Amino acid sequence: MPHEVTLQWRDGREATIDVADGETIIDATERAGLGVPFGCLYGACGTCTGRLLSGDLVHIERARGLKPRHRRDGYVLLCVAEPRSDCRIEVGAEIQADLVPNPWQ
Amino acid sequence: MSTDEPSHSTEEHGHDHHEVAGPGYPTPAAMRTESEREKTAFVMAPRVGMDVDAPDFVGVVDVDPDSNTYSELIDTIEMPNKGDELHHFGWNACSSSCHAEGLARDHLIVPGQRSSRIHILDATDPRDPSIEKVIEPEEVFEHDLSAPHTVHCVPGGKVVISMLGDANGDLPGGFLQLDQDDFSIDGHWEANRGEMKMNYDYWYQPRHNVMISTEWAAPRTYYPGFDLDDVEAGKYGDSIHIWDWETKEHQQTLTFGEEGLIPLEIRMPHNPEETQGYVGAALSSNILRFWEGRDGVWEWETVIDVEDREHPDWDMPVPGLVTDIVLSLDDQYLFFSNWLHGDMRMYDVSDFGNPRLVDRIWAGGNFGDRQEVQGTEIRGAPQMLQLSRDGKRVYWTTSLFSSWDNQFYPDIGSEGSVMLKADVYPDEGRMELDEDFLVDFGDAPGGPARAHEIRWPGGDCTSDVWQ
Repeated sequence: MPHEVTLQWRDGREATIDVADGETIIDATERAGLGVPFGCLYGACGTCTGRLLSGDLVHIERARGLKPRHRRDGYVLLCVAEPRSDCRIEVGAEIQADLVPNPWQ
Repeated sequence: MSTDEPSHSTEEHGHDHHEVAGPGYPTPAAMRTESEREKTAFVMAPRVGMDVDAPDFVGVVDVDPDSNTYSELIDTIEMPNKGDELHHFGWNACSSSCHAEGLARDHLIVPGQRSSRIHILDATDPRDPSIEKVIEPEEVFEHDLSAPHTVHCVPGGKVVISMLGDANGDLPGGFLQLDQDDFSIDGHWEANRGEMKMNYDYWYQPRHNVMISTEWAAPRTYYPGFDLDDVEAGKYGDSIHIWDWETKEHQQTLTFGEEGLIPLEIRMPHNPEETQGYVGAALSSNILRFWEGRDGVWEWETVIDVEDREHPDWDMPVPGLVTDIVLSLDDQYLFFSNWLHGDMRMYDVSDFGNPRLVDRIWAGGNFGDRQEVQGTEIRGAPQMLQLSRDGKRVYWTTSLFSSWDNQFYPDIGSEGSVMLKADVYPDEGRMELDEDFLVDFGDAPGGPARAHEIRWPGGDCTSDVWQ
């Protein structure tokens, strides 16, 4: 059964897409032509980082690019994420930059 | 004759001591003196990690001052997929295959750092390159390798790429060998990895049967950004590895510890007689010299130490972050960038163990006075360098790596980075920023891009090795 996933960008833009069974969120954003960033497509690189605001999703492969603290704060890797309910997720290139701040600043 | 031509006949470059033509030059001096000024630059231009719904591209930049489109991005060869992170690239052939008949320097090997996809571009016409073949990530993962980085052609009809991770983005990495004829994957280059786990850049000196490789970290460690906790946990490199070039076996590890954290770019002199070189330790911000000592045992010492600087608004002293180094073809000058400080330095290395700072240029960064060229903000700081073959012009780009850009120079992620140039006066030991030259990759057709490694048709200071 498809789930309705609402994506919100930090500039206020929003889009809602249907994500089919067995489809990752990046598969679905690419199908919809939304241009959500991605890189390695196997959960290592973090380029596709989003933040789960509500709903339930699972990583179908280990989210190697995230540390335990990132997982606790709701960050998810959309290239290996499948929704298990309707979801609302914060997306866009800026989200990845939350993961590691400038250590000297 | 322009070296923008893909190959040179015996007659054209005075290669009179051998009968066959090849893709390179008989000596470093021949390359320095008998090639003409560069007219075209190929620049890796990733868009990964930006809100730009477009693939990375190889940019073609006009660097011919007599051209109407001088200092402009004149073509973009977009990759077939998004998300590659084009980073470093290389040639199918160089001066190491100088005597190989029928071989031309006419194909670029263009890996995706994040995707592990490898593109082969036909660059026979340097102003109109095209994608000829794509090796998909699955084919690379089959060899339990990922994250392709440095590309060198090697004698014997092969291309060897340093690979930073296994198929899961974990350690160890290794080396992937391609066939020069059809760019099919042969498999691993190395026969015995020994204690080497991390990988990054490599250089080889075939006359002395040596290859030396450096260390970054596991892809899953450096891909998401730079975390000091990972350094403390020992997840970043501090060593280089000496290999037997013929038997492809690991021979020795040089461990630098605190003096050489994150040893990235490695250069050996172009003179094939030399058995020494430099490596830039990015985090320690040191230049380390290594050399072959008695009985074939390699040794090292720190020869340049870039001092950390206090930033008025930051909590901790800031390292320079030496991210790229380049040696002139006559091995007389070393250039390197301090990506966090914002300066690019020139050292006289005529006494290799005692480098002498002769000049530096500040442009962008966190400490430079000059933050604009032609009214355009310098987003980022000097990073990937490329020197002209005659040693009289140095060009650079300002992006490091998408996620690291986001941490340290976030404007690059929204507006792209730039390419700059300085004129070098080797006879006077100085250089000057050329304010007439600026390529703003923020204005790239199809949306802004970062700009990374630079290469010239005809070869450059970081592509060619002599047997």
